[in-house]
Amino acid sequence: MMTAVLNLLGTTPRARRRALWGIALILPNTIGLFVFFGIPVLMSFNTSLQEWNGIRPAVYIGLDNFERLASDTRFWNALSNTLQLLLMIVPLEMLLALGVALLLNQQRLKGRAVFRTIYFLPVVTSTVAASVVWAWIFQPRFGLLDMFIAPLGFTDIRWMTSPDLVLVPIAAVAIWQRLGFDMVLFLAGLQSIPGVLYEAAIIDGANRWQRFRYVTLPMLSPITFLVVVLAIIHGFQIFDQVFIMTARTVPGGVGGSATTLTYLLYDSGFVRSQFGYASAVAVVLFAIILSVTVGQLRLQRYWVYYESGEAQ
Amino acid sequence: MTKRVVFSVLLVVVLALSASVVAQETTIDEPMITPVVCEEPGDLTMWVWDETWAEVIGNSIEVWTEKYCEGATVDLIQQPWGNYWDLLRTNAAGGDLPDVFNMSQTFVGFYADNDVLLNLQPYWDDAGIDTTMWGTGMVNPYRFGEDGDLHAGPVNWDTVAVLYNKEMLEAAGLEEPTSDWTWDDFAMYTEALTDEEAGVFGSAVYMQFQTGYANWIAATGESPAVAPERAGCTLTSDESLEALNYLHGLYDAGYMPSVSVMGGSSADDAFALFASENVAMITAGSWKMPDAIEQLTFDWDIVQLPRHPETGRSRSVLHAVGYVAAANTSQPDLAANLITFLVSDEAQMFFAEAGGVAPANPNPVLQATWAEAFADSGKNVQAFIDATEDSQGVTGFGEIWNVINAELVINIFDLDIPVEDAAAMACDEIDRTIAELAE
Repeated sequence: MMTAVLNLLGTTPRARRRALWGIALILPNTIGLFVFFGIPVLMSFNTSLQEWNGIRPAVYIGLDNFERLASDTRFWNALSNTLQLLLMIVPLEMLLALGVALLLNQQRLKGRAVFRTIYFLPVVTSTVAASVVWAWIFQPRFGLLDMFIAPLGFTDIRWMTSPDLVLVPIAAVAIWQRLGFDMVLFLAGLQSIPGVLYEAAIIDGANRWQRFRYVTLPMLSPITFLVVVLAIIHGFQIFDQVFIMTARTVPGGVGGSATTLTYLLYDSGFVRSQFGYASAVAVVLFAIILSVTVGQLRLQRYWVYYESGEAQ
Repeated sequence: MTKRVVFSVLLVVVLALSASVVAQETTIDEPMITPVVCEEPGDLTMWVWDETWAEVIGNSIEVWTEKYCEGATVDLIQQPWGNYWDLLRTNAAGGDLPDVFNMSQTFVGFYADNDVLLNLQPYWDDAGIDTTMWGTGMVNPYRFGEDGDLHAGPVNWDTVAVLYNKEMLEAAGLEEPTSDWTWDDFAMYTEALTDEEAGVFGSAVYMQFQTGYANWIAATGESPAVAPERAGCTLTSDESLEALNYLHGLYDAGYMPSVSVMGGSSADDAFALFASENVAMITAGSWKMPDAIEQLTFDWDIVQLPRHPETGRSRSVLHAVGYVAAANTSQPDLAANLITFLVSDEAQMFFAEAGGVAPANPNPVLQATWAEAFADSGKNVQAFIDATEDSQGVTGFGEIWNVINAELVINIFDLDIPVEDAAAMACDEIDRTIAELAE
């Protein structure tokens, strides 16, 4: 038995030592991940099967929380809001980030490092601070945005109170904050594309658009895939912007118009003290994100190209 | 030489007596609550949410540890309001509540329903304290159980009144309102004070539950938002709709700003607009007086809420913060002893002299001292005291707070949803929540 275990690590003492060193070095992080992430996740699964207000002893109720969730209009409303935000955020965020990355990839552009820093600053800005400021930017009468759009005839737009519009400022802040992160990824991807491919394309008579379409985009597809996956995962978990930006009006938006799945989770747990139900929301959210991510992994074979030149 | 010595001694004695009079706070000859010495000192933790109160309570605790419980220590922590309730619930879930903490009438129900609070009634009885002295508005929300045991000691009370810009009134040729003014007078004042070109609104008096529309509903005789004993939502009653429609009429005519214009639905947003002289009259709570005195740069004053034209009543929502103890505290007797001291005349004098919120202890000397604290300001704080006579206790509770505090207000005064529809939507949510809690 012991020999079998040691053979897993390596067949020579040196190989085994290296393997053990590797394990030892990642062990602290792994333990931390298990203690601070793994165990809480397992506990959350357990709590989702209970009725618990955080004070009285928890009572097992089986799948009742999930049954309730299935018929709860607040859940479906939150899911709808989350999907709407994803539709607004992911395409725009990617397009803008790619556009900025393409601009910053120009060799002739002076001060590229400065621009890169400027675009990355929102990424390292506190979400709370950014949300507070952006809420004031969207203030209909005295906000900065109103200064620019009022002369165009758009006045007194109730961004933060109108159920039809409240998701727009939230999406705007989310895009603004993540743009720099995606830009950096795209920039790294662009800079790793071999120049010989462009040279070959030029020799073949490809114009700028054709080079972009048939060289840049395919070679960038692994990074694009990464950006899409991360953006979607992040989009499903939007909470800070909702919490902060709707705090001055109606938390979660009028009639739940800004309530996302994670906000519903917080509201159920920490406002209504329904921790079992909140955990059920968390489990469902986990399942949704996992399904979407697995689906994306499966679909990547059709459009992601790696250096071998073929989709995998 | 002898005469000089005698004179010097007399001078020193006189000076010492004068100094003691100057240094000594106002004394109360007939206290309503006399503290008792603790049986055994120990260590307590205490949470409050207000920075100013933390200082006042800290001063009180110093006296308690010197005179009534030598050797006891209290770790007093001020948790910011924005985090207070989340932290409290989290700690309650973890069984790690502070021994003593501030409680609001709005949120006490959850803790009482889950037996988190120490029943203080036995301690009131032992100390010979008649808890009816505080008045039903202050203490009834803190009474639980079949016998209506009081689980909290009232810290302070606050009521709501109208703050008005005297300079704007004068410019509009209006006399300063008196406590006899009516809703009709108020509407006339609001209209006269509105200057659309200058971007000035006549009033902003609807926002939030406590400082806003609930007071106007209460003046009709109706219980605001929720019927007593949580019997159901009252927002769709004729009286509630009358009050809401009255306010909506002023808003619809352009005399009151929308929530979006104010930048938020809280009373603080209205206060900011008042401070910037963009609105002539607002409703504000008595807790706002220190800020108003410090920040307002124009001439202003205070008057009671206007009277309903038919009932003749001017009613203010009255709220009392309470001192409570955790049911699982390891030192229940000590915690109760501290609370008994904090609600005594001796401790409440610190609140009275601080000039912030008014002390809950009804001793007339304390109330007069509190009013006197504002004497230099020249403001009519008596309006807040007078408002306690026909006050309305807080009827809202935590689980429906967003609906009655913000959503209803925004639906009517920003999204222009008809009053009846907005009230019906709110009642759907309130009644659903009441039914859920009853299960």
